[in-house]
Amino acid sequence: MHELSIALNIVEIANEELTRHGGERIRAVHILLGPLAGVAKEALLFSFGLACEGTAAEGSHLVIEETQGQDLDIVRMEIEP
Amino acid sequence: MSGSAIMRPRIVEVRERVLKQNDLLARELRQRFQEAGVRVVSMVSSPGAGKTMLLEKTLTILSREYRVSALVGDLATENDALRLQRSGAPVKQITTGTTCHLDASMISAALMDWNLKGLGILFIETVGNLVCPSSYDLGEDLRAVLMSTTEGEDKPLKYPTIFNTADIAVITKIDLAAAVEFDVKAVHRNIQTVRPGMRVIEVSAKTGTGLENWLQAVSLKK
Repeated sequence: MHELSIALNIVEIANEELTRHGGERIRAVHILLGPLAGVAKEALLFSFGLACEGTAAEGSHLVIEETQGQDLDIVRMEIEP
Repeated sequence: MSGSAIMRPRIVEVRERVLKQNDLLARELRQRFQEAGVRVVSMVSSPGAGKTMLLEKTLTILSREYRVSALVGDLATENDALRLQRSGAPVKQITTGTTCHLDASMISAALMDWNLKGLGILFIETVGNLVCPSSYDLGEDLRAVLMSTTEGEDKPLKYPTIFNTADIAVITKIDLAAAVEFDVKAVHRNIQTVRPGMRVIEVSAKTGTGLENWLQAVSLKK
């Protein structure tokens, strides 16, 4: 299963965005996930925790909004400060 | 007051495709292929559907008329590459270790020491898997999803995503259809249900049935 690769991508982009916005920690990452993206929600949630370890996203939540089609997009993040 | 402000998270808008890195790299590959006049065909299926055997026949026959080459992905072993090299075409194995799919960066790395101009028709045989490869654009011109008559007729219904990201469907081992009581009509119906209008080719790499249609599709031969 490729959910770990996907989770690593999410965490990488989230950390880049965090730096861009001058934040210190990531609290949550919100994504859109369509049924045709070929990604299993449960496996992604599990992998996300592993992918976050050792980064500014450690301990953050992945919030998945289920949509239509092939969506696999990061839409927003909750960061601090 | 300032304490509570620190506790409240800031919401920032992102709007990024999770696979943007792969998509960008795939776009770059597609452009390089186009400039070098390389046609790229990827083959996706579950393990054992007959990708390697079909590719072996394809390379052998097409190499009489075209330049052909292949990249083959597997978790481990160089077996497929060794088998395909018998056709005389340049073939390279990509071993992914534990990764269940090929992505654009693996293709790019594998092509590093090859001159793109000499590749002609480049076949990419992905790791046997009907789920994960659907997420990764490899810069190919044509993606073929293969399924064999020894699999269930309902496979297209079970794996709609790969049928939706592929350009053509190929039913392999058609010579075994009767022996395994494979309902060819049902599979055509199921493919059209998940992907109306999809082109479907029936082949047997062993007997040669339907091979002409497949070769025409991959080489754009008239």
